[in-house]
Amino acid sequence: MTLGIRQLPRTALIALGLLVVVWLAIKASQGGNTFLQVTLNGTTDAALYFIVAAGFTLIFGLMRVVNMAHGSLYLFGGYIAYVAQTHWYAGGTSQFQLGATSSTSIWGFLVPLVFATLVIGLVGLGIQQLLLRWNQGQDLRQALITIAVSVIIADQLIAHYGGIVESIQQPTSWPNSIVIGTFRYGFFRLVVVLGAALAVGVLLYLLIQHTRLGMIIRAGVDDRPMLSALGVNVQLVFAGAFFLGAMLAGFGGVLGGTMISVGPGLDSQFLLNSLIVVIIGGMGSLPGAAIGALLLGLVQSYSAIYLHFGATDLTPYGVLAQFILVIAVLAFRPLGLFGRPA
Amino acid sequence: MTNVAEEVTRLERGIRRWPLRRLAAAAGLALCGLWIAACGGKSSSSASGASSASSSTTSSSAAATPSNAIRIGILSDCAGDFGAWYNADIGGAQAYFIAHNGAKPNGPVPSNGITGGTIAGHPIKIVGYGCADDTAAKALSEVRRLVEADKAQIVIGPLSGDEGIAVANYSKTQPGLTFINGTSGAQDTTLKVRSPNFYRFNGDGAQWSAGVGDVAYRKLGWRHAVVIMDDYAFGWTSAAGFIADFCADGGTVTRIYPPLGTTDYSSYISQIPQKFDGLFSAVGGTGTLDFLKQYTQSRGAFKKNTLAGNIFLGDPAVLAAVHAADVGALVGQPTNEDTSSANAAAYISALKQAYPAPTTSLPKPGTLAGLASSVFTVNYYMAAWALDKALTAVHGDLSNGQAALHAALAKTTLPDAPYGPVTLDQNRQAIVDNYIADVTTTGGTPGIHTIYTVPGVTQAFGGTFTPTTPSPGRGQPVCQKRALPWQGKEQSISVH
Repeated sequence: MTLGIRQLPRTALIALGLLVVVWLAIKASQGGNTFLQVTLNGTTDAALYFIVAAGFTLIFGLMRVVNMAHGSLYLFGGYIAYVAQTHWYAGGTSQFQLGATSSTSIWGFLVPLVFATLVIGLVGLGIQQLLLRWNQGQDLRQALITIAVSVIIADQLIAHYGGIVESIQQPTSWPNSIVIGTFRYGFFRLVVVLGAALAVGVLLYLLIQHTRLGMIIRAGVDDRPMLSALGVNVQLVFAGAFFLGAMLAGFGGVLGGTMISVGPGLDSQFLLNSLIVVIIGGMGSLPGAAIGALLLGLVQSYSAIYLHFGATDLTPYGVLAQFILVIAVLAFRPLGLFGRPA
Repeated sequence: MTNVAEEVTRLERGIRRWPLRRLAAAAGLALCGLWIAACGGKSSSSASGASSASSSTTSSSAAATPSNAIRIGILSDCAGDFGAWYNADIGGAQAYFIAHNGAKPNGPVPSNGITGGTIAGHPIKIVGYGCADDTAAKALSEVRRLVEADKAQIVIGPLSGDEGIAVANYSKTQPGLTFINGTSGAQDTTLKVRSPNFYRFNGDGAQWSAGVGDVAYRKLGWRHAVVIMDDYAFGWTSAAGFIADFCADGGTVTRIYPPLGTTDYSSYISQIPQKFDGLFSAVGGTGTLDFLKQYTQSRGAFKKNTLAGNIFLGDPAVLAAVHAADVGALVGQPTNEDTSSANAAAYISALKQAYPAPTTSLPKPGTLAGLASSVFTVNYYMAAWALDKALTAVHGDLSNGQAALHAALAKTTLPDAPYGPVTLDQNRQAIVDNYIADVTTTGGTPGIHTIYTVPGVTQAFGGTFTPTTPSPGRGQPVCQKRALPWQGKEQSISVH
C-alpha cells in the first residue's frame, strides 16, 4: 500500500512523458516541415547550451566550484568579439546593424572569435587565481564570490556597452541559409553552431579519456587529496581546468552573439540554462551535459510552439515546461541523469 | 557484525553524499539570489548611469537657475529594445528649443544638455533625462525621479507603450504638473486612462497603421495575413490598426506575439504558417532586426508584396541597418520622408542647425536630420513645439496648478507640423495624417516612397475603438468586417 503511494508520482510522471511523446508524434505527422524546423531550433539551441554548460560542468566536476559568473563570462565573450569585429574589421561605428554595410571576411569573424575565447579564458584564470584559490574547499563562499563577480561584470557591461542589443556578423561569404528540397534553415545555426558543439564534445571526450591531463582530471574528480598526494601539481590542473572552462563560456558567447545577439540579460539566462543542463545531466558529467542540453533545448522549443490545445493557447506559459523537466528528472535521479555521488 | 559493517558503509555513503547535496542546495539558493540580484542590479545600474548624467547637467547651471525658470524633464529609454533612439528623442525636443527659443546645445551629443533659451521670457531649465528601458516599472521610477527629486514642472515623454500608460496614470497623482507624451503609442494611454493633464500630440499605434490593411487587401490582394506583434501595449495597438483595417475588408489573420525584447525569434518564426498571402510586422526596436535576419535565414527573403510593417520597418535607423532586407515592404507611418513640403524642410533645417555634426550616440545614419522622419525624433520635437506654443499663449504662467497651461494645451494645434497638421480630440489625443509607403532602394540605400495618405485619422478609428471597447491585446480586436471611413479612399500621392 505504501509502496503504491510512493510510486504514484513516478507513475504520473511516466504517464506525462508518454503523453508528451504521443502529442509530439501527432504534431510531427501534422506538419512535417514545421516540426523539423522546431526540432532543429531546439537542437541548435541545445548545441549552444552544451558548449557553455560543458565548461561549467568541467569546472564543477574537478574543483566543486559552482561558477555563478559563468553566464557573465559568456556575455563578456560576446561583447569582446563584437567590439573586436567592429573596431578591427568594420570601421567601428554602428550601434546596430544587420547584413553589414562593409562585408565581413572570414578572418573578420575568426580572429574576434579566437581573441574573445582566449581573453575570456584569461579572465576566468584571473578569477580563479585571485578570488577562488584562497577559498579552496569552501564551496558556499566560492559560489557567493562568483555571484558577486557576475553582478559586477553585468553592471560594468551595461555601463560600458549600453542596454542595446548588438549582433556579431558572420562572414559574408558564408551562406545565410541552406536549402534541402522545400526545407530551409539558417546556415550558421545548423552548420557552424551544431558543428562546433560536436567538435567541442569530441575534443573534450578525447582530452578527458585519452590524454594524461584527462587522466589527472578524472582522478581529481574522484579523489583530489589522493591525486595531490601522488605528487601531481593540483593547483596547475585547477588553473588549467578553469582556463578551459572559461574559454568554453567565451567561445559560446561569440557563437551565441552571432547566432542570436549580444545584450544585457543574456548572462543570467545562460547561467540559468547551464545550471538546468547540469542539474538534469548530473554535475560534473560531460555526457550528462550533452543529454541535458538536448533535453532542455527540445523542451524549450516544443513548449514554445505546441502548447496550443484547440482555442486555448498555453504557449506563454511554456517557460514552465523546463522546470517540469527538472522536477521530473530529479524525481527519478536526484543526482541528475549521469550524476555520481562525490 | 555484518549489521555494524552495513551501518558504517551506509553512514559513509551518507557523509560522502552530503557535500554534493549541500552544493546543490547552495546552487539553488545562489540561483534565487542571482535572479534577484540580476534584476535589481540591472535596474539600479542604469538608474545610476542616468542620474549621474542628469546630475552633471543639473550641477553645471543649478546655482544659476532663476526662480522663474520653467523646469522641464525629458523622459526616454536608454536601455531595452528602443535604447538606440535615446538621443534622437532628447535631440528632437531640444532641437526645437535651440531653433526657436534661443537655447544652445552643450556639444554634439543631445544628452549633454542645453543652456540658455527662454519661453515667454522664462528661462528653460532641463532638469534631467529619464532613462527607462521600455518597462512600466522603470518608466515610473524615472518619471518620479524627474518630478519628485529633480522638481520638473513639465515632463516630455515617455517613449514606449507600456510606459505611456504608466506615466499617464502617474500624471493623475500630480494634477498640478503637465505631461506631454514623447512618442509612446499605446491606445489605452489616452483612450482609457484619459488623464486631464496628459497630452499626446502624436497618434497611437493603430492610427499609424491606418490604411495599411486596406491597401494590402485591395492593392496587394492579400486575403490571409500573418500578424506578428510585440506582446505589449504598443505592439497590440499597432497590430490592432492593421487587423481592424484588413478584417474590415474581409481578410483573415493569424496572430503571433513574441515578448518584447525577444532575441531568438526561431520558435516564433516556426509558428508562421508555410502558406500566407502577407505578413504584417509589428515587431519593434532591435527586435525588428533580429526578426528579419532570422526570418530570412530560416524562410528566405520575403517574396514581392508579401511584407508589410509598422513605423519600425520604415524608421530611418532600421532602414540604415537592414539594407535590402525589407525593400518592397509596405509600411504605415505618420511621416513621409520623401515630402518636399515647406513645413518638413523648416523642421529638418532646425534639426541641422541644432545638431549639425554626426555622432555615434545616434543610430545610423548618425545625424539628427538623417533621423528626421523617425517618430522618435519628430514626436519629441512636436511635444516641445506644443509646449512652447501653449506656454507662450499663457505668458509662461504656471501658477494655480498650471491651470492656464492645461487649458491652453488642450486647445493647442500644430497646423504647420512637419508631416501634416495635428489637432487634439476631447481626450487630449492627437488627430493625425497617416502615410502608406513602399520601401525602395536608391543607389543601394533603402528609402521611403510614399504612395497613399489617410488624412485626419482619429483614435476612434471610425468608431472601432471607444473608451468601452476592449483594449487591443493578443486577441483584440476580433477580426470582423466593418466600415471604415478611408476604405478604398486612401488618397494617392503623386506629387510630393
